[in-house]
Amino acid sequence: MTVEGGVQYSKIAEIKGPLVVVDDVENAAFDELVEVETKDGERRLGKVLEVGNGKAIVQVFEGTSGLSISATNAKFVGKVMEMPVSKEVLGRVFDGLGRPKDGLPDPIADKFIDINGEPMNPEQREYPKDFIQTGVSVIDGMITLVRGQKLPIFSGSGMSHNLLAAQIARQASVVGTNDDFAVVFAAIGVQYSEAEYFRRSLEESGALKRSVLFLNTADDPAIERIITPRVALTVAEYLAFELGMHVLVILTDMTNYAEALREISAAREEVPGRKGYPGYLYTDLSTIYERAGKLNGRKGSVTQVPILSMPSDDITHPIPDLTGYITEGQIVLGRDLFRQGVYPPVNILMSLSRLMKDGIGEGSTRADHSEVSNQVYDAYSRAQEVRALAGIVGKAGLTEIDLKYMDVGDIFEKEFLTQATDENRTIEETLGVLWKIVSKLPKNEITKIKDKYVDEYYKGE
Amino acid sequence: MGRLHALASNSSLESTIDKILKNTEATILSNIKTALVDSQKVLDDSIPKLEGEYDKIIADGKKEADKIEKQIIGSADIEARNKQLMALEDAVDKVFTKALDQVANADRSGDYSNLIKSLLDESTQILGTSEIIVSTNTSDKDVVQSNLSQFPGSELSSDTIDCLGGIIAKSKDGAMTFDNTLDARIDRLKPLIRKEIASKFGVGE
Repeated sequence: MTVEGGVQYSKIAEIKGPLVVVDDVENAAFDELVEVETKDGERRLGKVLEVGNGKAIVQVFEGTSGLSISATNAKFVGKVMEMPVSKEVLGRVFDGLGRPKDGLPDPIADKFIDINGEPMNPEQREYPKDFIQTGVSVIDGMITLVRGQKLPIFSGSGMSHNLLAAQIARQASVVGTNDDFAVVFAAIGVQYSEAEYFRRSLEESGALKRSVLFLNTADDPAIERIITPRVALTVAEYLAFELGMHVLVILTDMTNYAEALREISAAREEVPGRKGYPGYLYTDLSTIYERAGKLNGRKGSVTQVPILSMPSDDITHPIPDLTGYITEGQIVLGRDLFRQGVYPPVNILMSLSRLMKDGIGEGSTRADHSEVSNQVYDAYSRAQEVRALAGIVGKAGLTEIDLKYMDVGDIFEKEFLTQATDENRTIEETLGVLWKIVSKLPKNEITKIKDKYVDEYYKGE
Repeated sequence: MGRLHALASNSSLESTIDKILKNTEATILSNIKTALVDSQKVLDDSIPKLEGEYDKIIADGKKEADKIEKQIIGSADIEARNKQLMALEDAVDKVFTKALDQVANADRSGDYSNLIKSLLDESTQILGTSEIIVSTNTSDKDVVQSNLSQFPGSELSSDTIDCLGGIIAKSKDGAMTFDNTLDARIDRLKPLIRKEIASKFGVGE
């Protein structure tokens, strides 16, 4: 923060989509913050995308509608965009650019931090291995989230990902430690009703006091969405690495972020990549996802759960495809389960947490966790095969053991997967349901669990 | 004869009735016994079930109570914090207003001329030219005018601006403007000044 201000330029050469081209500019810097002033005196924020030959291309976050070439001024502020941070941000609601949206004044800042963050030194990264309890059985039991992990949720249009996101935000906690826990929730391009739901849901559950909300609604300018995940992560990094908190960052919906990126890319007339997204989509997404992790010698951690809706439920679409390359697994929501009314409709056969093995077991969850989870995964996979077979030969053509697996599939979906939106299950309760499913199988079908655990927890036959 | 036959038939009927009654009684008694044993068994079986249900209801109730307690405490904390924030902001605003009043009414003689000179200096450096048109407020007009001679090519605008003090410098071609009024400088520093004031109230230290 400096006392020197920036120069205001009034020669606007062109306004194209979300971009403003300013002429005769000297000393502008890449990423520099720009205040664009309309003829009515309204100020909009933007940043420098390109400089050279006396021109600067400015991306206006709040859109360019209503701007005219003759009556617009661009003030180059002389610094990059910064987010004021302090512990006071907890319990606050901000808009997509980090401005208060709850009718309260700006937080008294402890620091002003560049929203682009600093890349984590790979050498300094600590391998994530501590369990986060979300209270959602299917996640805790079979796709376990670990502190410092980035685990996206791949959903589809109209599915219940936002309910799940809000439930995780309300219920998530770290077990077995007294360390502070916080949730940073960034809603990117969501409907007003959804944004209100997130806010109310956190307020009414009492979880707001440990949360920070960034709400960019669908009627906010699309370009603002480029900034929303970055301000959210800036706050998360401050809480984690300066204040030593374990921070869970939920970003929903990253598809809207990628759409905004495509809009800017098209306006800049860049050569489009797959489906019109810019060729640097992977690199850009990585600048967000790679801001999750733990650092050696620092107490806190940043865990990310980005949520993205796959256009036409297409998992090979560039956004989920490139996201999957960067993140450590994925939670996939299934349309079939959703249509059956199952909540959360997680398709476990397509889901995976790559770091689960290191975050569960003795000392973190329970010694039998990994084995019972594998056994249930195997049984559910077999149940799906049997269901497909029954579709051809009919139930009468199935063997007794096939019928047992069908039952297991039904119990899995009705008792384990299905959960009320306000039901917070402990890991012990989750493991209890997993064992209930395993107990429906004859003992000789249990091949993935050690005998000592079977003797202790199996309740069948 | 007929009467004798009727008597014999009555006694055999009675004995049949007795037999049936006895059999029925035995069946009923046996059924009652079985039912008693069964109900005892059901009762015995249901005790642990009931205890389990009872424990579950208690656990669920405790969970719900914890949830409600968290909600109440969370909402109360947020409400209290919000009120504190508003109170603090009020206090900060009061301090700010008072400080701005003092700046607006500051003595325009002595060091103030040096301040204007340094503001002009800074503005010409940032704009990269001294070919500028300078605007200021009514009370600073004379001080600015007296300093402009040191900046060849500069001139004072006949229009005055509404500000606490300081200047706005505009290149003569109108392409560049630099706002170096005290208002703009205070605005840029406002977050830091707010922090400073808040720390006097014991916040954010």
